[in-house]
Amino acid sequence: MSEQIMTVRSLKRREAMAAYAFILPTLLGFLVFVVGPMLASFALSLFDWNLLTPPEYVGLANWEKLFSDARVGGIYVNTLRLSLMVVFSNMTFGLLFAILLDSKLPVLIRNFFRISYFFPYVVSAVAVSLIWTFLFNRDLGPLNYYLGLLGVDSRINWLNSSQWSPLAIVIADVWKNVGFYILVFLGGMQAISRDFYEAAEVDGANTWQKFRNITLPLLSPTILFLLVISIIGALQIFEQPQILTSGGPGDATRTIVLYIYEQGFKFFDMGYAATLAISLFAIILVLTIIQFRLSRRWVFYQ
Amino acid sequence: MTTLTETRVDEMSFTSPKPKRRIPWGSIVSAILLSLGAVVMIAPFMWIIQAAFGETARAFVLPPRWLPANPSLENFESVFEQVPYGMFMFNSVKIAVIVTLGQLITCSTAAYAFARLEFRGKNVLFMLLISALMIPGQVTLVPLFIVMRQLGLYNTHAALILPALINPFGVFLLRQFFMTIPKDLEDAARVDGANVFTIYWRIILPLSGPILTTLAILTFVTMWNSYFLPLIMINDPELQVLTVGLTLLRGQYGAGALGPIAAALAMAIVPVLVVFLMLQKYIIKSIVSTGIKG
Repeated sequence: MSEQIMTVRSLKRREAMAAYAFILPTLLGFLVFVVGPMLASFALSLFDWNLLTPPEYVGLANWEKLFSDARVGGIYVNTLRLSLMVVFSNMTFGLLFAILLDSKLPVLIRNFFRISYFFPYVVSAVAVSLIWTFLFNRDLGPLNYYLGLLGVDSRINWLNSSQWSPLAIVIADVWKNVGFYILVFLGGMQAISRDFYEAAEVDGANTWQKFRNITLPLLSPTILFLLVISIIGALQIFEQPQILTSGGPGDATRTIVLYIYEQGFKFFDMGYAATLAISLFAIILVLTIIQFRLSRRWVFYQ
Repeated sequence: MTTLTETRVDEMSFTSPKPKRRIPWGSIVSAILLSLGAVVMIAPFMWIIQAAFGETARAFVLPPRWLPANPSLENFESVFEQVPYGMFMFNSVKIAVIVTLGQLITCSTAAYAFARLEFRGKNVLFMLLISALMIPGQVTLVPLFIVMRQLGLYNTHAALILPALINPFGVFLLRQFFMTIPKDLEDAARVDGANVFTIYWRIILPLSGPILTTLAILTFVTMWNSYFLPLIMINDPELQVLTVGLTLLRGQYGAGALGPIAAALAMAIVPVLVVFLMLQKYIIKSIVSTGIKG
């Protein structure tokens, strides 16, 4: 009897040992590359450090700088405005094209559309931004040329005017990402039971009524999911403004992550860069919580 | 039931007048919009490829060309003269392959432990790991840079590979799948004297092909496209990856030099296109089902 208990115990101990061995690589990496840097950010925000001279403790000076830095507020406003434009455009075009694709199409043609819409999503943001740098060229770019043929002012200064450059970034971003939105929406639509539509047809509902009263409410979990991940993603846009406009003109397209990069790796102000990063982290955390709270009110599950 | 249906069919075919052939305006408009969308998606690639194969001096002309006037490889030659493009490619492949294989191991072992093994601190550790998903990657880059410098790994590939080997999302993804595998299989093996590692290696992994493929695709695509980390960690052009390498080329020529940059872009994009076309079913499914946002 006691021997049996011993075996069970030692078996359990062996299982636990194996488990620790199994999680060790992830745990170790997690501590060194995630938890450590996360805590270090907070510590770093209390220091002034340019990597060359030893770090100097400055208390809350970086935080005071953050709140008195006239550029930060503007950059946050620009980042937020850009994010909302990016998310709104992606969601709208994504939903529109998902609806168009959710009709009876020959398999071959549907696949062709799926592939052509989705492919830019797997191309790096760097390559996409480089391509669009040329497409947006004011004098020789194809975009202005074809706009000219359509009778639009054909000398739009896409990348160097504070009026147009945010729109340029939105266009490049939608071109790259909209395929992802289309396919996620399409997945959501195809999960909706056909019975609802048939019942609505019996009641004489038209296409718009079916969309408004069946598709949209039942798609709300998908919409919320996309909204959460895209706003969080959009707040961290970096490649597009860095490559297309370098944040300019002025701060018109300077996103907060681009500003963090510049403070940290151009001006080597590590403490201030860490402080900015924490502020972004806080904002993203708050947004996530707000969105989950709101979701309870307007998300319908099938 | 059968009679009912038959009666209805009869009624329909005899009593109702033949429906007038109406022009399906809805379908026509939707076909036009879908085709227009496809042109917008494809045209930029076509334009870059024609520029790559054209003459350097005449890349940027109006009206835009869709086929090169005098096909030439001079753009490609000048890319290889200006930057170690072959090394960029090699480094990108090397890092993406190592990290993908590495993550398959680190994520699947951890996921198996969290899914099936009993040990102290299991729930706390799992919650901690999952809460890391709320931390945006960009936020920890500054301290990560400092950590790598302290470890003497600045300007080495290890600085890119090591932090990428842990993927809390990957652990979560695999754990959810492992929990759906019937436990009876493992119990039977255990009765036969199989140890934990044997069960993991011989039973769990072979049953997890699809989810491991999904993780592999996600990891490879993420690593292949990663830009910020190599931008700050790698200084030596010979060690640089393709994404940053493309921007280095722009530094060499200035932003206006379409030809060589188009050639470099073509060489970067065409292999991705080939792989994508071969594996598109799996790639699309992996990315869309997990909702990975680039």
